Amino acid sequence: MAHAPSSRRLWFVAHSWLGLPIWGFLFFVCLTGSIATISQEIMWLVDPATRANPPSADARPLGYDEVMARIAEQRPGARLHEMTQPVKPEFALIVEAATPDGETRTFFVNPYDGTIQGEQGWFDFRAFIRALHGWLLTPFDGGYAIGWYAVSALSIPLMGSLVTGIVVHKKFWRLYLRPRLRLSKGRRVFWGDLHRLVAVWSIPFIAIMSTTALWFLIEAILYANAVTVAPVRPPLVIAREAAPNVARSEAPPEPSIDAAIAAIRAKHPDFAPGYIEAPESAYGHVTVYGRGAYPLIFEEAKVNPYSNEVAQSRMVSDRTALELVTESMRPLHVGDFAGLWLKLVYFLFGVLLTGLVFSGMMIWAKRTAGATRALVRDIRVAGPFPEPAE
Amino acid sequence: MIALPGGRRRWRFHVCALMLLVPIGFAPGYFQRLDLEGGAVGLGEREIGVLRLGRWKARLAELDLGPPVIEGAAGPIKTFTLALEGAAIDEVRAAYAKIGEPRSIRSAGALFAGAPYRQMAGVAAPETATGDSELWLTFEGWDGSIEQTSLPLADASPSTVAWLAGRRRR
Repeated sequence: MAHAPSSRRLWFVAHSWLGLPIWGFLFFVCLTGSIATISQEIMWLVDPATRANPPSADARPLGYDEVMARIAEQRPGARLHEMTQPVKPEFALIVEAATPDGETRTFFVNPYDGTIQGEQGWFDFRAFIRALHGWLLTPFDGGYAIGWYAVSALSIPLMGSLVTGIVVHKKFWRLYLRPRLRLSKGRRVFWGDLHRLVAVWSIPFIAIMSTTALWFLIEAILYANAVTVAPVRPPLVIAREAAPNVARSEAPPEPSIDAAIAAIRAKHPDFAPGYIEAPESAYGHVTVYGRGAYPLIFEEAKVNPYSNEVAQSRMVSDRTALELVTESMRPLHVGDFAGLWLKLVYFLFGVLLTGLVFSGMMIWAKRTAGATRALVRDIRVAGPFPEPAE
Repeated sequence: MIALPGGRRRWRFHVCALMLLVPIGFAPGYFQRLDLEGGAVGLGEREIGVLRLGRWKARLAELDLGPPVIEGAAGPIKTFTLALEGAAIDEVRAAYAKIGEPRSIRSAGALFAGAPYRQMAGVAAPETATGDSELWLTFEGWDGSIEQTSLPLADASPSTVAWLAGRRRR
């Protein structure tokens, strides 16, 4: 009687088959994801308008209200929707505003002198590559896009590949000490060595990517079933009486972003604004998102634009342990919370992961087919019942 | 002969690469939605017309031609877009829309959000709404004054009326 296939061989075949039937899709998602990580940096390289060059060595950034005043001079009537202050000081402010023709435009604004250096054209590379990677451009109609499910479901074979890969190569840590890449033993050996070598160095990255992507899948499923992790708060609106009455001949009050941020800083001194939303209506608040001491989480505060009092805030300390974990998933996935160096690290490992998918496919093409045939043959010999002839 | 991987059938496992065609198929819709949301194609997919509320003037449109969309607990929601014009841009503090006549300013309906040049409101389609219902617009000035107008829902959103008729039959 032949030997039953060893469990290691079973794990091995499982590992070999996890990525293969969808390798092209996985490859595409890994590749676009890697590009998405540095999409902002690519725009910085391609388009000088997105850079923040100080006009002189001792120039200091303007206050946000002053920036808005300069924008109003250049684009009369423009009304602020939202403003992004990039983490990296080399990047221009990104200001989204409505113009009197009814369009919403995105301006790249020099933070030192308020000059509108450029305007987002018809094509937004950053948003496009994210949509391409994250949901294959499929529409969100009253729920998560179908492409979102398809992409985030890839976390399952990715995590499976990680686990089975580690089980198969239990002594993987040896490769850290003695890396091996044989160039002269044929293509199969080369792709195998490269696959293992890249894989062991990518273990933490693959663990992060597959875990966070699995959360994106769970998040969509929870949303579709109306389950929420954080308690849903009713939308905060300013009472009708709290909005001032203004005579017809006078101009309506203008919210001050600087005053709003000052009010938040008075309560939370280490708050660093990253993203500002103008009030959506006369009864809305100035909402400021920013990072405090814990860089993974965006803190949030809403300020009444008439009284400049903080009406509501959601800081790190206000969150439950579960919320801290779930809200850390996105920054962990995209690597946008520490600066350029981390983006480049994420990009490098993203490219390596893309290469893992490709080398895995190459190995499969050269070996797995035969290995599986052998395994199935063994099972058949060991089977207790005779099989009918074909 | 084991009909497993490999050999002549190996090509089948590369069929998954055709997944890459999926985004190409969805790309036109993706860009159309961006244009619609950003206002590049105008106020909405269907302009309803010019409204006059006292001394104020505004244009109203359906954001998209489709019927109301069920949005979780909020129920069926139909999105309208509004552009304040002339003096209304600086004088109107808030604009509201509601299917059915509001009893007071406190129940004026959905508050339009966004810049005066193009603001949006998700208007609920209540259980009591019928094809004969009216869409009521309420404007409130910075000086506290209030103006109202109404138009037949059939003029404001034929797709909503058709959707309501379907709901009645069920």
